[in-house]
Amino acid sequence: MAAAETTESTAREFLTDIGPKPGVKYPVDIRYCGECSMPTEYCEYYPGYERCKKWLEDNLPKEFEKLMSGKGGGDIEEEKDGEDKKKRQTRGGKGAVKAKKKLEPEGIKLATSTRGKKKKITIVTGLASYEIDLKAASKFFSNKFSCGSSISGDDEIVIQGDVKDDLFDILPEKWSIIDEESIEDLGELKK
Amino acid sequence: MFKKFEDKEMVSNVNNAKSSVQRGIRHAVLEQFPHIDDYIEQILPKKDNLKIVKCHEHIEILANSNGEAVFFRQRDGPYYPALKLIHKYPFILPHMQVDKGAIRFVLSGANIMCPGLTSPGAKMTKVDKDQIVAIMAEGKQHALAIGVTKMSTDEIISSNKGIGVDNIHYLNDGLWNMKPVK
Ligand SMILES: [Zn+2]
Ligand SMILES: [Zn+2]
Repeated sequence: MAAAETTESTAREFLTDIGPKPGVKYPVDIRYCGECSMPTEYCEYYPGYERCKKWLEDNLPKEFEKLMSGKGGGDIEEEKDGEDKKKRQTRGGKGAVKAKKKLEPEGIKLATSTRGKKKKITIVTGLASYEIDLKAASKFFSNKFSCGSSISGDDEIVIQGDVKDDLFDILPEKWSIIDEESIEDLGELKK
Repeated sequence: MFKKFEDKEMVSNVNNAKSSVQRGIRHAVLEQFPHIDDYIEQILPKKDNLKIVKCHEHIEILANSNGEAVFFRQRDGPYYPALKLIHKYPFILPHMQVDKGAIRFVLSGANIMCPGLTSPGAKMTKVDKDQIVAIMAEGKQHALAIGVTKMSTDEIISSNKGIGVDNIHYLNDGLWNMKPVK
């Protein structure tokens, strides 16, 4: 983000900017994503990125276009330094990241609901986005909780009983690819 | 600091800062971050009510009249600017740019390891140990975390292992998601 200086010994570049930049108006105007709340350039790291994209498309169509065209989500151009811009472009931009996105996990969502009169169930979605085999997962749940479990959709498993709290611990334990932070509690779904 | 922070549970009380206290805070913040001199009136307007939010674990958050966190500290430690403030005034802190590969780790709250600061995609400001820094990222324009260096920049380069910067506050942590303070 800055003019860089080169030292003879290591040829390593350091950031040297200090203080407000001339010609930049502060406060910097920044747009946050309505879905993940982060600066839009970080949406791609959000487990619910697909929902971010939807939000961007609806609310910041220009931003969305820029992100999708692989030019990066810069909503401001803080530096006017031509040299710096050139450097950023030669870093390969976002092309590589973009290609990877399709394989990215979308986070796990847990919800409870009721079936019949008072029977609670737990709904788990998102496992398939981690390339976890749903059949094996369903079997694992049914053993773990000694209860019924079945695949109920493309990427959805229904477990009999309210086991949501346990799943926050069990999912990351069983599948290390799942981070506890990326498990979302949707609460109780109304029918 | 805010990985497990839930404002509902963590906030113990909110007070309007007395004008003498507010003056003291302005003074302390200016001393720590001299570059905000020209902008202090925008950041902490004299006539505005500054709120002091006391939380568990001796965390104290300063919120402006909109209820938005601007600075925070733990015990009598230094003030840290909140990320949203750094987004508006990025020059408040020296920047440490991590490489692209480190982004997802930083966003999960992990501390910043030296290799993520020394690889070709990374760029550092020359700073000492215990310096509060803004964590930037390769190819991105806005800060993704606020941290404090565990080693000087020179040591980060020479040792190139272990934690280089402690991750104090990051996008989507408890402070980021704190509701506006009433
Ligand atoms: Zn988003
Ligand atoms: Zn003084």
